[in-house]
Parts: sequence; structure tokens; C-alpha cells
Amino acid sequence: MRKRFIGSIISLILMVSLFLVACSSKEETTGSSTSDSSGNGEASENIELEIISGGNNLPAPEDDVIKQELEKAIGAEVNLSVVSSEYDNQLNVRLAAGDFPDLFAVNRQQILDFSKKGLLLDLTPHMEKIQSVVDFIGEDNVTKAKVDDKVFAVTVPPQIPYNTYWIRKDWLDNLGIQAPTTVDELLAVASAFTQDDPDGNGKNDTYGITGGVLNAFQPIFGAYGVGMPGSFYLKDGELVNSFYDPAMKDALSTIKKFIESGVVDPEVVTNTALQHQQKAFQGQYGIIYIDWPNITKEVFVEQIKTVNPDAEWIQLRAPEGPAGYFDGTHDIGTAPRYYAIPKELEDDPAKLEKVFELLNYVSSDKGSKLVQYGVEGEHFNLEDGKVVPTDLLAEEGAYFWLYQFTGRPEMEYLKTKFAAQEEYIEYAAEQPRIEALNGFVDIPEGYNPADATRYYEEEIIKFIYGERPLSEYEDFVATLESTFNYQAMLDAAEQQLTDKGLVK
Amino acid sequence: MGGRNLVRGIEDRIFDYIIYFFLALVGLSAIFPLLFVLSASLTPFGEVLKNGGYILIPKTLTFDAYKELLSQARIPKAFGVTVFITVVGTFINLILTTLMAYPLSRKKLPGRNFLLFIVVFTLLFNGGIVPTYLIVKGTGLINTIWAMIVPNAIWSFNVLIMKSFFENLPEDLFEAARIDGAKEFRILWQIVLPLSLPVMMTIGLFYMVGHWNEFFQAIMYVTDRTLQPLQVVVRDILLQNSDQLSANVDNMVPTVTMQMAAVIIASVPIILVYPFIQKHFTKGMLLGSIKG
Repeated sequence: MRKRFIGSIISLILMVSLFLVACSSKEETTGSSTSDSSGNGEASENIELEIISGGNNLPAPEDDVIKQELEKAIGAEVNLSVVSSEYDNQLNVRLAAGDFPDLFAVNRQQILDFSKKGLLLDLTPHMEKIQSVVDFIGEDNVTKAKVDDKVFAVTVPPQIPYNTYWIRKDWLDNLGIQAPTTVDELLAVASAFTQDDPDGNGKNDTYGITGGVLNAFQPIFGAYGVGMPGSFYLKDGELVNSFYDPAMKDALSTIKKFIESGVVDPEVVTNTALQHQQKAFQGQYGIIYIDWPNITKEVFVEQIKTVNPDAEWIQLRAPEGPAGYFDGTHDIGTAPRYYAIPKELEDDPAKLEKVFELLNYVSSDKGSKLVQYGVEGEHFNLEDGKVVPTDLLAEEGAYFWLYQFTGRPEMEYLKTKFAAQEEYIEYAAEQPRIEALNGFVDIPEGYNPADATRYYEEEIIKFIYGERPLSEYEDFVATLESTFNYQAMLDAAEQQLTDKGLVK
Repeated sequence: MGGRNLVRGIEDRIFDYIIYFFLALVGLSAIFPLLFVLSASLTPFGEVLKNGGYILIPKTLTFDAYKELLSQARIPKAFGVTVFITVVGTFINLILTTLMAYPLSRKKLPGRNFLLFIVVFTLLFNGGIVPTYLIVKGTGLINTIWAMIVPNAIWSFNVLIMKSFFENLPEDLFEAARIDGAKEFRILWQIVLPLSLPVMMTIGLFYMVGHWNEFFQAIMYVTDRTLQPLQVVVRDILLQNSDQLSANVDNMVPTVTMQMAAVIIASVPIILVYPFIQKHFTKGMLLGSIKG
């Protein structure tokens, strides 16, 4: 018995040592190339900045001109790496394990969580060192990254809205009808598109309206002056939540009318990502709610024309309703991303300096041009101080935005890079929209936005599909308030927006 | 074959044909999606759209998608990484798994039950992502190609499969070898391994496919772009269509043609391996080793 026990210990030790040998020999050969995150004792000329963010399509380092140019400019290695859907996982694990990247993308909720845990560097005392960044993004945007008056991240300034309704002009012409200007006309045109065989193929295979789930109805909500479900906005100077907006029921009943008359894509609530775009290109839908890039960029125009050379999509002004016309809801408080620096970097001032240098550089005139348009003389030429892109930019420029750590002057950028789409860009940007304030409101404790959102989206869909009568709307709001604790969100919005001076 | 000299009734033959028919149907239904992927990768996207998204036999052929994918430096590079972790990784897996499974299969190994318990324990419980990350980091494997090989060098389940295979080898073989003076390593090398080709191939294939599809560890432990394996790059290409990214104006959404070409590049090499290993799946285990 005893002998067996000793034997088992010995074989266990042998096995463990086998593992250790296997591991350590590998460590010797390859371990030296890893980045040293503690950074002490590293020679200053060989600083390596590790940056992670969500994104995709970053080319291999030797194809990555932006990386090479940035390295030349700031004299440190710039290692950006991006993952698409697993980014949050990756970030959480790394922060939990204390293996901090030197700069990483976060969202507002993550700023709150991480700063509470003391993981993020408070930038407030360093503000004068990143003055160019502040000048570049503007004080407004600096404020968006504040938690209790401390700035914990660099805000990437918001984009302008791109979405509008788009309508098939050739279908209107085929049927000899005018583009709709009111909600009633929209319904009439959508019905004509559905029933009167606008493509003239003799088959009843067309529909009026499509879009991504409720977004398909953004302008219809807008016609009633109602924000999208869950939004907070100002109406006559008062803070309103869309669920409590008296016009919400009217908007829902109108949308219900659209669905009942069978003019809406029957799969509208299951359209994910860009499915509605693909469907529209295939020629079965006459009106789509979509952003201009996804319908006017050259690749897409080419696709549309291959399917049907006569197809012509034009922007359609939002239909007018009782409250005028608003092209849906646009949140003015959000930022697409923020970039945070780990608190740990305080112990490595040389590296921290380099991070600041990088941020300042991409905010400077020269550096900002680099991350927007690429290398002068290759991707663009300067003519009278104006950037003129070359063909190479269209070919290689798809990933440059990953390096826009402090954003870009949006309008100028779009007009330069997408000169051919200028009229659509301007049109979409000029449309009146309901300005939601949700981005300014931090989620309060005790309110689970994921659960509540799932609930209200499901119920709204039931209402517009007539599976739940609108007479039960008040019950729905009551459940939302109590079971899903929406009251907490309402109180938080009221208080935070008042504190920020957005509501009087 | 044995039925050749028997008179076969017409019903038998009809029965056979019906079976062939259904098997052919099942076979076709397995090929159908693959054929769709292949055809879509070779057809210009406009053509795909025109046909409502489905193409089985392409009318016009184009290799543009493949040309474009292979012209990006990252795909060939990722291919190299994946081939390396597949070949080296599978080799390490098989050595370590055998060295673990063989002793455990010997009934006279002291403390065998305790060791088995340890193996089974890891099958049911593990440390979770963060502690594992800490170990990988602590051993200096982060951002090296070995981070995708070492942490999963042994899969306990495969140890158990191999162990029970070894246990089923007749004891007489070992006795005979021992009488002839063979020591343990010689028995393992010259008696056990040659007889274990089927299980080696099977488990090797499990490991191999696992390495070929390496994704999670690559995402977690490797941020160096030059070390990304094929699946990470392919997913990067495929996922550009997601909600969040399609809202980005700069993002070039790849066409279905590109996406399908990426799928073909990523999956065909491993599919080609199957036919060579398949025969071992069906082969009897101990053909001709023991007579009488």
C-alpha cells in the first residue's frame, strides 16, 4: 500500500516536470520577443506602444503605411491590433489579468466601470500635455468622457447622421406617380409599389418599405414628433421620454396601418446587419431606410446596376405628419468610441509621453491628414491647400479610420473622401431630426438596459403587428416601469440632464 | 460480391436501387452547401444578386476574389501560421497524449487511479479564462505562436480514448515482448504504436482540425498581427457585415463572392486531409497480430 502511494507521487512529479521542461524550453526561445508591459528598465529608444480596439480589416504590418508613418513621426513602435466581435471579451480578460495595453478603445459604460475600479488613468492633470487633442476634438467632447469631473478618456467626436429614406425613382416613373411628401401619400405610394407591379415583370413580387427592424419606420415616428422607443428628447423645452409622449400611440397606430396593408417587408423585424440592403438591391423593395454609404458607394451602385441597369435610387424627404417632418431620431450625446490609457502607465513616464505624443500627432494638421487621407503624394495631393485624393486612397484607405484616435472633422472628411457622394452627404446631414439626449445619461444602478430593451422592442413589435391591442399600451408602460425598473432610468435621466444643464 | 453466384431476385435489385437512390440523395444534400459556397466564390457578385442570392452552377467565372484575397499579405501569412500550429501542434499533442495515455493504460502503474482522477477532473473543471490567461502570461507565451499550441497540448478526453484503446491490446503481446527482453519504451515504440495507427490517426485528426480552426486562443493571447492564424483573418473578412461596422463609412463591405472565397481558402486544405485518414477509421484494429 505504502509503496503504491510513493510510486504515485513519483510518477506525478515526473509528469509535472515533463510539462515544465516542455514549457520552459519554449519560453527561452520565444519569450524574449514579448512586450514588457511593466516597462521598467527598458531603453527609451525602443518604446513599443500596444493599442487595441474593435474593428477589422487591418492589413499585415508591411502593408500598413499608417503604422510606418506614425512610427517615423513619434519615434516609437505603434502596434495596433483589432478584433471585431470578441473585442469586449479580450479587453475584459486583459484588464482582469492586469496585462494592460497602452491605449484601448472603450465605450461610455466601460469608462464608468473601469474608472470605478481604478484601472484608468485620470487625464485631468495631464490636460495641458494633450492640448492639441483638446483643441482638435473640442471641449464639448472632452466633457463626454468625464466621470465626476475627471476626464478618463479621449473622446472620438460623433459622426453626422447618414440615414434617410431612399426610393426607386424608376418605379415612380413607371407608375407615373409623384414621390410622397406626407405620411398618407407614403402609404399610397407604398401600396402602389406593392400592388401595381412597378417593375413590370407581371409578377406580384414587390413590397413598399424595408429597413432594419424598427428603423424602417424612423421617419414615421418623426412625422408625429416622437423619438424612437426609449429615447429622451426635448419637446417645447420639456424633457420627454418617447414612451410617455402622447403622440407615441398615434405613431404606433399609423405604423400598424402600414403593416396591415401589407406594404412592409414581411421579414422587416428579422432583418439584421445589412440584409435589407441586399434585398433592396435584388429589386423587390421600393423604399428603404438606409445610410448613404451603403447605397451610393461605387461598389454598391455597381451591384444595383448589374441586377437592373434601370434601377435608380434617390433620397426621399421624411414624410410630413401632424408634427411636421423629422428624419428619425439622432442621439447627440453619444460618441462612437473613446480611447483610455491604463492607470498603470503612470509608472512609466517615458511610455506615457509617447502615448500623449501619438494622440497629439493624430490631432495635428499633419498627423490628422495622415490618418484621414494617408501619405501625401501617394494617397492624396495638396492643391492650393485642398486635399485631392488619388485612386490609391480608395483602394487602400478602408482601414485608415482605425488610426483616427481623436476622430476627424467629419463633414470635410466625408466630402473629400467621398466627393462623388457630396450631395447625399449634405442632404442627409441637413435633414431635421429629433435630437435624443440618451448619450448624456449614464445607466443607473438597478436598471438593466439589455432586459428592458428586449422587452419594449418585443412589445412595440406586438403593438404594430396587432398582436397586442393598443388599448393595452398603458399596461405595457406600467410593466416597463415596475418590472423592468424603467422608473430608475427616468429619474436618472431627469437628474443627470438637469445637472448637465441640458434641461431646465 | 459473395452474392455473385447466387441467383438474385428482381426485388433484391430494386431494393438495392432504392437504397442507392436514397444514399445518393443524402450525399447530394451534404454536397449542396459546399457547392453553393464554391460557386458563389467564383461568380461575380452582381450575378449572385440577380439570381436572388443562390447560385449552383456559375454562368460566368471569375477568380478575382481569390486573386484579391491572396494579394493581401495577411492571408498567405496567416496560412503559414495555421500550417505551423497544425503540424507542430499535432505532433506535440500526439507525443504528449501518448506518453500520458500509455502509462495510464498499464494496470500495474502505481497510483493509477489517483492520476486518472486528476485527468478526469480537468475534463470537468477548469480554471476559467482569467487564471488561464495569467498562466499563459506568466510563462511568457503571450504574443508568441506557442500560446496557440502549449495551453492545449493535451486534451484529457483524447487521453481517455487512447488509454482505453491501449487497454484493449491483448496482454499476451506485452508478455511476449517482455519475454524477448523488451523494456517499456521499446514495447511502446515497437509493439504498441504500430498497432495503434487507427487511434493515432483518429486522435491526430481531432487535434489537427482543432488547430486548423484555432480561433479563441489566438484572439485572447495573440495581438501581434503577424501571428494571426487563418480563422481569425477569415472571420475578420466575413464579419465586416455586422451592424456596428457597416455603420462605418470607410468600411469596405466585401461581397459575398469575397466572403465565400475566404471560406474556401480556409476550409479546403483540411477537407483534403480527410480522405487520406478516412481508411484508418474503418480499418480493423488488430488485423493479423494474434492468430488462433
